[in-house]
Amino acid sequence: MDKDPADTPWILLASEPGKWQKLSPIAILYFAERLIRQLASQFIYLLPALLVGYAQIRDNPGLWLPVLSALLTLVGLFAWLSFHYYRYRLYKGHLQIRSGVLHKKHLDLPFERIQNIKLEQPLYYRYSRHVCMLLDSAGSHKQEARIYALAQDFAERLKREILRQGGTTEGQQADKEADPAVTEQEKLLISRSVPDLVVHGITSNRIWIFLGGLAPFFDNLFALADEQLSRLGLDLDGLLNPAGQAWWQFGLYVVSLVFILMALLTLLSIAGSLIAFYGYRLTRSDDRYIRRSGLLTRHEVSMKLSRLQVIVRKQDWLDRLIGRINLKFEQLNANIEHTGAVAVSGKLMVPSIDEVQCQALIDDIYPSNQMAQIRYQGISRRFILRNGLLALLPFAGLTGILLFKGESQAMAVCASAYLLTLALIWQRWRRWGWAVDEEFVYLRKGLLGVDYYCFPFPKVQQTKFRQSIWMKPARLCSVTLVLASGGQTIPFLPEIDGRRLIDISLYQLERLKASWM
Amino acid sequence: MDTLFTNTNLSHDRLPTISTLQFMPLGRRYAPLNLLCNLSFFLVLMLLACAIRWQPWFAVPQWLDAPFPYLLGTLLLLGICLPTYWYLADKRKGYALREQDLSFKSGLLFERIVTQPILRVQHVELKRGPVERRAGLGTLEVYSAGGTLHTFAIPGLPEQTAKQLRQFILSHGDVGRDG
Repeated sequence: MDKDPADTPWILLASEPGKWQKLSPIAILYFAERLIRQLASQFIYLLPALLVGYAQIRDNPGLWLPVLSALLTLVGLFAWLSFHYYRYRLYKGHLQIRSGVLHKKHLDLPFERIQNIKLEQPLYYRYSRHVCMLLDSAGSHKQEARIYALAQDFAERLKREILRQGGTTEGQQADKEADPAVTEQEKLLISRSVPDLVVHGITSNRIWIFLGGLAPFFDNLFALADEQLSRLGLDLDGLLNPAGQAWWQFGLYVVSLVFILMALLTLLSIAGSLIAFYGYRLTRSDDRYIRRSGLLTRHEVSMKLSRLQVIVRKQDWLDRLIGRINLKFEQLNANIEHTGAVAVSGKLMVPSIDEVQCQALIDDIYPSNQMAQIRYQGISRRFILRNGLLALLPFAGLTGILLFKGESQAMAVCASAYLLTLALIWQRWRRWGWAVDEEFVYLRKGLLGVDYYCFPFPKVQQTKFRQSIWMKPARLCSVTLVLASGGQTIPFLPEIDGRRLIDISLYQLERLKASWM
Repeated sequence: MDTLFTNTNLSHDRLPTISTLQFMPLGRRYAPLNLLCNLSFFLVLMLLACAIRWQPWFAVPQWLDAPFPYLLGTLLLLGICLPTYWYLADKRKGYALREQDLSFKSGLLFERIVTQPILRVQHVELKRGPVERRAGLGTLEVYSAGGTLHTFAIPGLPEQTAKQLRQFILSHGDVGRDG
């Protein structure tokens, strides 16, 4: 009978506990990829050197071959050394990792500190059925660990073992998971098809982020496009010259150009969505939610229900038009406490689902929540006054200068822009809403889109009450409830309600002493 | 039957409320000391500007020389207004300790009350810089899982009080209860 390759390290681990284990040699690929990524991210610092040596490079175009070969050899050598010096072991309830070529590191991570275990499968691991295991702890980002290459089945067993030896609740959970019959019971909550992901690609606003990132290169891109189009016989300068044609013709060209550009960028966004969410499956195994997705690198993120801090139901304006919702489950804040790659995946998102699917998922997590039915209270109209006055400052300054220069047309544009800003502030005020029931706090906010937030009282870490001397006579205040995933602020609510909200939050968590994770 | 457990309805009016918190002032020397530090900072800035303006080694460019009196005037104005505002704000700072939580009040134009339940405290630090050490003061920093942006800090506590507060938090039955 063939020996299961996954069993070899497992047997070693079980028969010789405490013995340092080596990785599978395929990890060299992973180390090399990481190194190349790091080098690429540092590329910007090399730019001045490249610019200085540009003449040299131009004179010796054949130089890239030896340089690239030398670079790849170095990367290969360093990846092999990283693999060679990497050892891990499970020892007395701790995961220990020794790593580093020049700078030696020794990591000791007690199982009970491990918050989250994520399995990641890059494309090149798929054929040899290996995964990379990422372990996230509650401490600082220095306490994150990666075991770079483990056979998939072995990794699953190791994960269960770590969870079993971890806390009591998780231990019981892992015991159940260790039983194959129970593991089979992983219930599929939702999966996303390719058309769904295409919709997500279209509705997500990555286009604008991408455009923003490209801004410094606009000049070069236009020059390049102009050159290419000229070769095809299209004179871009001529087409876009308002003096050379009727205004409607010119307008049509501009609109078509914008549409072509938007279509191209939307395609990129769709590609991004497919890469991140291809094969999306959200499953539930007892109180653990597991997300698996990824076209090139398969990601698996698991979240224990008790670790969930807040549910966010997000709808941009385009989502609202086509009735789609992005549902996010936020755990510990990735941006504040942790900076590592593991914690960034702390958010678990379900992309582009419809109303019914969204409600079913929210009800599955918090059955007694009333996010959809509860009546939200608005905030004071002073929100419009305050923000309107604040926005007036730059506009008033600008109008003053224009008045001084006698630019009446520009003044009209400035006034219209201010009116538009006021309309947006009004819309933002209209969206603001908050509500509480026995168990949960609900928030509604947004501008053109609308986002709903829902979290149980015991998730509150700290409360903040704010009142300016201008709010005091109107008996208004702002309240921030700080969660482990970040602060949630309700501005301009009646002082009496604000104080009561804080009192209830403190009472709920201090009296009931419920855990937040 | 379990007779210890009750679950009667509780009116909101009967909840402990933050409206009745009794705030204790910070150390007596904190506000004057802070005023002195802030005044010194602006004084150093002004001296630095004058030293650059009148140093004998190189000529100050015209574009910098012309607005110099305005720059000095602005620094002087800021050096009077800001420390005065901060001093008045420091005088209003205070903390309140209840059985289950610690609150800190601050702000003159914008009043702010932060309340940190002891149950949610991850760890506590007592920080004392060289100036604070000489004045016998300390800053108590209380960390929760809310992240570094929301670190709860009470500055200007008399050393003894700071230690007592820290001890109270550390020996509280609930601290670190859920990691």
